[in-house]
Amino acid sequence: MARRKYLLGFSPARVGEPITYMIVKEFDLMVNILRAEIDERGGRLLLEIEGKPHKITSGVKYLKEKGVEVKELNEYVSKEEERCTHCGMCVSICPADAFEMDKKTYKVHFKSDKCIACGLCLDACPPNAMKLRIW
Amino acid sequence: MVRTVQQINQKIKKGDVLVMTAEEIIDVVRREGVEKATKEVDVVTTGTFGAMCSSGAFLNFGHSEPPIKMQKVWLNDVPAYTGLAAVDAYIGATELRENGNMDYGGANVIEELIAGKPIHLKATAYGTDCYPRRKIETYVSLKTINQAYIYNPRNAYQNYSVATNSSDTILFTYMGKLLSNYGNATYSSAGQLSPLLNDPECRTIGIGTRIFLGGAKGYVAWQGTQFNTKTPMKNNVPTRASRTLAVIGDMKQMSAEYIRALDFRKYGMSLAVGIGVPIPILDEQMMKCVAISDKDIFAPVLDYSIQSRNRKPIKEVSYAQLRSGTIELFGKKVKTSSLSSYYLARQIAEKLKGMIQKGEFLLTEPVERLPEDMAVEPLEIVSKEEVK
Repeated sequence: MARRKYLLGFSPARVGEPITYMIVKEFDLMVNILRAEIDERGGRLLLEIEGKPHKITSGVKYLKEKGVEVKELNEYVSKEEERCTHCGMCVSICPADAFEMDKKTYKVHFKSDKCIACGLCLDACPPNAMKLRIW
Repeated sequence: MVRTVQQINQKIKKGDVLVMTAEEIIDVVRREGVEKATKEVDVVTTGTFGAMCSSGAFLNFGHSEPPIKMQKVWLNDVPAYTGLAAVDAYIGATELRENGNMDYGGANVIEELIAGKPIHLKATAYGTDCYPRRKIETYVSLKTINQAYIYNPRNAYQNYSVATNSSDTILFTYMGKLLSNYGNATYSSAGQLSPLLNDPECRTIGIGTRIFLGGAKGYVAWQGTQFNTKTPMKNNVPTRASRTLAVIGDMKQMSAEYIRALDFRKYGMSLAVGIGVPIPILDEQMMKCVAISDKDIFAPVLDYSIQSRNRKPIKEVSYAQLRSGTIELFGKKVKTSSLSSYYLARQIAEKLKGMIQKGEFLLTEPVERLPEDMAVEPLEIVSKEEVK
């Protein structure tokens, strides 16, 4: 089983298609919607997809055939190391425990694989070290 | 066992002084006892790196041709106070840029000056016989400014409260982002490394004490504003925000690593200031003070959704609990965050230790002691007749 994050973008014309239903049903994938937004530019969907690697590949191929823009995502937000003072304000803000305070060095580590893209840390960081990468 | 500051300085000059950080000393005292540790260790260094809003800098820009008596002055569009002589100004850390946004202020100007960046200077004036110019726009930097010195009226708080939020909305405060329904709790003090918690009655820290300030040598100028000796104690240290320091230091010697602009969204700007104070181990009593550890230092948890100066603490928690990552409030585990960097506090204490070991930093005796009895008065709204 593999778990990957994808950012999907689709035009207003395709907003009506039940694409998440299709990838669940046709490709046996577990889908967790992390973030969704629809506006005049179209829709953007941040998904975490879990399933057999070849099924994920097929699912992504299906989405592309349907005209959906698909981008695999490793980092939704990033931590600018030069700005970070390692205070730890982010640690209690993050609902996914993506920030770890190392109890030996007292440095804060950002584990991007745990990040669920909620964005709560962005306006919580006093030295402005957390930066939005997508959206 | 008694030793003087002079004796310590002689050892520093000879290069055989023994210095430890306020964190390292805890285990030494636990292992060897106060008596032996006092004999061995001469100096203990402390450190803190946190948001200190009451900060700012005095600047002298030099005279233009023809000269101007600046009446209003802006640095990168941030107003500075210039109700002083012609080209003197004070830039306060929390002053905001005049464009309605809250994301840039005096703290950024100070950080950028220290980092060596050019700063846009604009000033206006009414013009006088001796200062005919009415407007000036130019660029200045730390190199062109005659004097640039930090003068912070209140830094290095001896303990501070822990903030949480009982309401059902997120609060944006100077204690950071507080999630709803006790979603988190934030604290500020460096606890066992914090300067004033290691010398709780300010026996060795006083007016004139040489300190580490923003990467350079600085000095304690005065008691800080809101200096308070009348707070409850536990384990010989205050359990509330108590004593404070007013500090002074040359920006030209500082490093932007230890002076940093902080942006507290929907509150405003603040300045993270790195301060380290060396504590001479004069006797066993002093050693007992510096041996204090996080488990013995307590702070009150306050509900910041109560918008009153009279909010009562929910409970007291130790810094050991706070630093563990969670505290318990009303039977619920609440995640904690530090607002000050323990990583940098430790680095500052280490750096100061190195400076002393290398003979670059001599200790001082206070010129005067800080007040031993001082309370903080509230501001009441009264008439001219009622005012005391």
